[in-house]
Amino acid sequence: MAEQKVELFARRLDRGVQQAVHSNSAAGTEKRYTVLGTDYSAPDDLRRLAGQIRQHAIEHLDTYLEQAEQSLKRQGAHVHYAVTAEDACRAVSDILQKAGAKKVVKSKSMISEEIHLNDHLGSVGIESVETDLGEYIIQIDGDHPSHIVKPIIHKNRRDIAKSFEREGLGDYNDDPETITRRARVFMRDKYLQADAGITGANFVSAETGRLVLVTNEGNSRFCLAAPKIHIALVGIEKVIPSDAELAVLLNLLGRSATGQQLTVYTEFINGPARTDRPSGPQEMHVIFVDNERSQILASDCREILRCIRCGACLNVCPVYRQASGHAYRSVYPGPVGAVLSPLLAGKNFKQLADLPKASSLCGACNEVCPVDIPIPDLLLKLRNRGHEEHAPSPGTPPMGAFAKLASSPMLWRFAMKSNKVMNLVPLEKLPLPYLQPWLKTRTLPEWRGGEFRSWMKDRRKK
Amino acid sequence: MSTAREQIFSSVRAALAPLPERTARPVFSKDVAEPHWLAAEADSLALFQKRAEATGTKCFTDMESCAAWLRSQGVRTVYIPAPLTRLAALCSEFSEVTSEYTRARVNEIDAAFTPAAGAIAESGSIILSDESTPDRLAALAPWHHIALVSRAEIHRTIADALAAMPDDPNLIWVTGPSKTADVEGILIQGVHGPGAQACLIL
Repeated sequence: MAEQKVELFARRLDRGVQQAVHSNSAAGTEKRYTVLGTDYSAPDDLRRLAGQIRQHAIEHLDTYLEQAEQSLKRQGAHVHYAVTAEDACRAVSDILQKAGAKKVVKSKSMISEEIHLNDHLGSVGIESVETDLGEYIIQIDGDHPSHIVKPIIHKNRRDIAKSFEREGLGDYNDDPETITRRARVFMRDKYLQADAGITGANFVSAETGRLVLVTNEGNSRFCLAAPKIHIALVGIEKVIPSDAELAVLLNLLGRSATGQQLTVYTEFINGPARTDRPSGPQEMHVIFVDNERSQILASDCREILRCIRCGACLNVCPVYRQASGHAYRSVYPGPVGAVLSPLLAGKNFKQLADLPKASSLCGACNEVCPVDIPIPDLLLKLRNRGHEEHAPSPGTPPMGAFAKLASSPMLWRFAMKSNKVMNLVPLEKLPLPYLQPWLKTRTLPEWRGGEFRSWMKDRRKK
Repeated sequence: MSTAREQIFSSVRAALAPLPERTARPVFSKDVAEPHWLAAEADSLALFQKRAEATGTKCFTDMESCAAWLRSQGVRTVYIPAPLTRLAALCSEFSEVTSEYTRARVNEIDAAFTPAAGAIAESGSIILSDESTPDRLAALAPWHHIALVSRAEIHRTIADALAAMPDDPNLIWVTGPSKTADVEGILIQGVHGPGAQACLIL
C-alpha cells in the first residue's frame, strides 16, 4: 500500500539524525518559551499585534510596495522587479555581468534558495560563495537546508569535519571551534576578493526605504563591507509600513527564532555609499520577487504571507521533529512549509499537495507563531484544495465502502452486530500491512458494536 | 509586453480588490514591546552595562583598564582612527598603534577602536553608523573591537533607538560578539566578526 511521503521519509531517516533534529528543535522551543515568559506578562497579545501589523501590510501591499520603491530610489538604490524565479535569477546575473563581476559572496537568504540562485550563477560562470557557516557547509556538500534558521540541524560535527577535509580546509578535525576558525580564515579572502555581496532582507520599511537584516555571525555585514556592489533579493511580502513597526517585529523575531532578545547584528541599510560616507558598496540593487506571492495573496491562504521566517513552528512541530526538514521536499520545511511550499509551487501544486496532510493539526505551530498565522486552518483549506483538484493521496485508506455502510441504517445495524466475529479473529495474523505496525504495540478492546443502540431502545420502552 | 513591475502591481491589485474590507493599521503605544522588567530599571547607564555584559560585550569606563585587558589578551597591533588619537597616547605598550586601516592589513590588526553612534540600554546593543565608523571593515574584521560609547548617547529602549535613527547609509546594532550555533547547536564566538566585543563608555 502507498504511504504518505513525509511519513515514509521519517521511517527511513537515520536514527542519529532524527535524534539531533529532535533535541535541537526541542531546545529551540524551550529557549523561546523561557525568554518570552521572562520578558512579557502577555506575550500572546504581542503576537496578535504583530499578526495584525503583518496582515495590514500584506493587505495594503499595493500601496506599501510602491512607497518602498520610491523610498529606496530616493536613497539612491536601483529597484528591479522579477515575476518568476527564473526572472529573479536573470536579474541578478544581468546586474553582475553588466558590472563585469565574476565573484560574489552571499549571506543567508531563503528566497535565494527558493529561486536556486547559486545553480544559476554557476551556470553563467559566476562564483557564488555562501558565507553563513551552515549554508557554506550545505553548499560544499551539494545539500539542502533542513531548517529555516539552523540549516545544518541534520548534520553532526563528524560529517562537517569530513567535508572540510575534502574541500582542503585542513586535516580532519571535528572540534566545532576549529571548524568555525577555519571557516573564518577561508571566508576572509572570499569577502575581500568578491565583486558583489548578495543578501536577502528581513523587512523593508516603506516609509524610509530601510532594509533590515538580522544575523548572528556577522557575515551579512562583511558582504556589505568589502564588495562594491550590493544586491538584495526581497520577496514582495517583506514590506512593512514604517520603522516604528520594527519595535514589535524585531522584539519577536529574535526571541522566536533563537531565544535572543535581538540577534547579534541588526543592520539597517539605507542606500549605497555617499561621498561623505564612502565605506560601503557604491551600488545598491533591490530586486522585488513575486514568484507566486501575488497568487497567494489572491487565495484564501494569504495569512501565510505574514511569515517572518523565525522557524519556531518547525521547532515545536511533532511531525518536523520526527521527519526532519528534507522530508518536505522543498525549501521551506515544517508547518510553514506545508502551507507555503505547495502554494509557491503554483501550477505544480498537486506535486506537493500531500504536505498539508503531514500534520496532526495539534495547533502548536499557531501557538508559537510570532505573527499568529492560523496554520492549522490553512492546512485544512489546502487539504480541501488537494481533494478538489484530485491530487494523489497516498496513505489515505479508501473510504468508499465505509461511506456506503455509514449512510444506510440497515447496513450499519447489521455491521455493528456481525462485526462481533472480530472477537474470534486473531488480528495480528490478518494480511493487512498497514494494521501490523499499529498492532505491534497495541491491542483492540473487545468488539461491543450495537450495544448502545440496544440500550437506547430498551430505555425508551421503559 | 508589460514590464515585470506592471505585471506584479496588477496581480497585487487584482488580488486585493475583492477583499470586502482590509485590516486597519494597528495603533500601538511605543512601549508595547518593552520587557516588563524595564520599568524597574531607573538608570539607563547601569542597565546598558548589565545588558551588554549579559550578551557578551565587555564594558569599560576608563582607557587604562581597557588597555590592560587588551594586553592580557595578547593584542599587539591596535588601530585607532584619527578622531580618537587622544586615546592612542594611552596605548604605548602595544607593539604597533596605527591610524591607517587598509585592506592589505585586514588580518594583521588585532584590535580596533571605533566611535559608536550610540547605544541601547534595553538590549545592551552598540550602535555603529557610517558617519561615525571610518571603515566598516575596521569595526568588523579584527578579533577585538572596542566601540566608544558616549553616556549621553545611550537610548533607553529599542523603540527609542528606532525613533531616533539618523539618516545614514548603514546603521548596525551590535549585541555581543559574532556567534554561531550551526554545528550541533554548540555556541562558538568569533565566526566572521569580532570574537571579543567591548565598549568603552566615556
